[in-house]
Amino acid sequence: MKAREIMTKDLTGLSPEHSVKEALELLKKMRISGLPVIDKEGKLIGMLTEKEILSFVLPSYIGAVGRFIYEENPKSTRKKLEELVKLKVSQLMRKEVVTTTEEATLREVARIMLIHKARRLPVVDKAGKIVGIVARPDVLEAFIREAEEIK
Amino acid sequence: MLKKFAILIAISLGLGFLSRNIGLNFQQATAISIFSASILGTLLFWDFRLGFALIGTSVLLVTRTIDLENVIKFASLDVILFLVGMMVLVGLLKESGFFAWIVQLILRVRNLTALKFVVIISVVSALLACAVDEVTAIIFMVAAIFEICDYFEVDAVPFLIISVLATNIGSAATVLGNPIGILIASKAGLSFEDFIIRAFPLAMICLAVAIFIVVIWYRKPIRKLERRIKEFGSNEMLIKLISVPPERDLKISLLVFGLTLVFISLHYRLELLWHLEPNTVLLTIPLFSSGCVMIWKWKKARDYIETDVEWWTLLFFMLLFAQAGTLKFTGVTDVLAKNLAELAGNSISTLTGIVLWASVIGSSILDNVVLVAAFIPVIQSFQGLNLNLQPLWWALLFGGCFGGNITLIGSTANIVALGILEKDKNIRINFFQWFWIGLTVGLITTGIVWVALLLLPIYR
Repeated sequence: MKAREIMTKDLTGLSPEHSVKEALELLKKMRISGLPVIDKEGKLIGMLTEKEILSFVLPSYIGAVGRFIYEENPKSTRKKLEELVKLKVSQLMRKEVVTTTEEATLREVARIMLIHKARRLPVVDKAGKIVGIVARPDVLEAFIREAEEIK
Repeated sequence: MLKKFAILIAISLGLGFLSRNIGLNFQQATAISIFSASILGTLLFWDFRLGFALIGTSVLLVTRTIDLENVIKFASLDVILFLVGMMVLVGLLKESGFFAWIVQLILRVRNLTALKFVVIISVVSALLACAVDEVTAIIFMVAAIFEICDYFEVDAVPFLIISVLATNIGSAATVLGNPIGILIASKAGLSFEDFIIRAFPLAMICLAVAIFIVVIWYRKPIRKLERRIKEFGSNEMLIKLISVPPERDLKISLLVFGLTLVFISLHYRLELLWHLEPNTVLLTIPLFSSGCVMIWKWKKARDYIETDVEWWTLLFFMLLFAQAGTLKFTGVTDVLAKNLAELAGNSISTLTGIVLWASVIGSSILDNVVLVAAFIPVIQSFQGLNLNLQPLWWALLFGGCFGGNITLIGSTANIVALGILEKDKNIRINFFQWFWIGLTVGLITTGIVWVALLLLPIYR
């Protein structure tokens, strides 16, 4: 089985000009954790996931401070959220995105997901245009289907 | 990019040809060319510095400017291993929550006033810098400052700058504060005790003066914070903000680190007692302690070595030391030292002034390890001229640390703190916003050191 056969072709993507507020609403509505960011020509230029949002709200140095427990929710969270909703998607998105191609095998897709800790992989053509997206459940389902066919 | 590269090649080759013309031999000219390329490389191509250093050292070997045996000797494995050991211990402290515990202590200060806040962040920054190292210290000082400034809704920039200035001053106080501390101690044969007697008190006096300067300089932001503290009342929420469970690991880590510090401070006495070469105990204590950590935390031992030890920087240091050593090996620094001493009329006071101010200016632009690595062989060459080196070593130490305050790229602590500021607050401060206060503190504190080195007999 190839990525082409398991990817979702009916794409929902964000425009870099979208506000983060709109993006958040879309994520909530679709009940998913991340969306690809696509420019006017249909090229993939980034990815906006819950992770980017969480790491914007928390300080960048928490890892470096070491082990501790937050006992309170500081006021700065509210301020950060106010700043967050004013941002454009292009300002917050992750620009380096791991992708795959339509011809990639099922196992290759799974390998990339594991190695890069990616929950969903955009599928792009040679020109960098996005043609679909594969999420972990798609891969899992395909594996099960394949196993059943062998049986 | 290409233009910068052309500048680098032109200057380093130019220096090589120039030194050929003034009568130095081929080896000496090569050593100068390669070393200046490495120094310029750190200035113009910071991200490529290790690549440059690797290639430069290879060229030195292939051109027989230096041999393998001496490259290894000058690479100063003793200093590198000491830094490895300390980095492992700092990694342990971080993981056990020690630094978060310090942040929590600062957040829990009772009856906070703005002035008290400034004094606390300055003193804690300086003391932590001299107990762990300046780069580690600044990260959690920034964390504490951001939380407090966010809570009282004031601009964090002035307080961040104050903390960085104090960190750089504090880093001169002990062998541990800055890589140049251990580098100088190892090359000059100075002990931890020497630092405690001669560097610590002077650094603390400079710190007090610096606090005085910043309190006047930043009187407006401090007054604003004072008003906010009165408005918001006590910092109840901050007191509860974070907690660090006082687990066994934290206690053991503190014990390990505390014992390490105790033995480091006693190293000179132990060496006398056991008839060991100078600084043998100083250099082995962090190794011994990190060895214990490796056994205690054997499951995570690899993590400490791979993530907490900054191999990139250490490898660069080794190659840089080797290249600076080549200057000594080929006799360049002997020529330079002789000319410098003649220029100074063989007066140690004049030379002290030259070393101090040259290293202050140099380290405000260059990484201070690069600067000190270049200076060390020159100072060692003065020994051949029968000069008393003591004041020169202290001048190099203080110059190398205090120069870092002058510009915003002056020291690693500055760069780290401003990096966090940009990432978390989206604030980019401009060169002059830093420069005027940095220069004022830098000049006055260096002035104090200059007077002390010239007048006080303990530096002779």
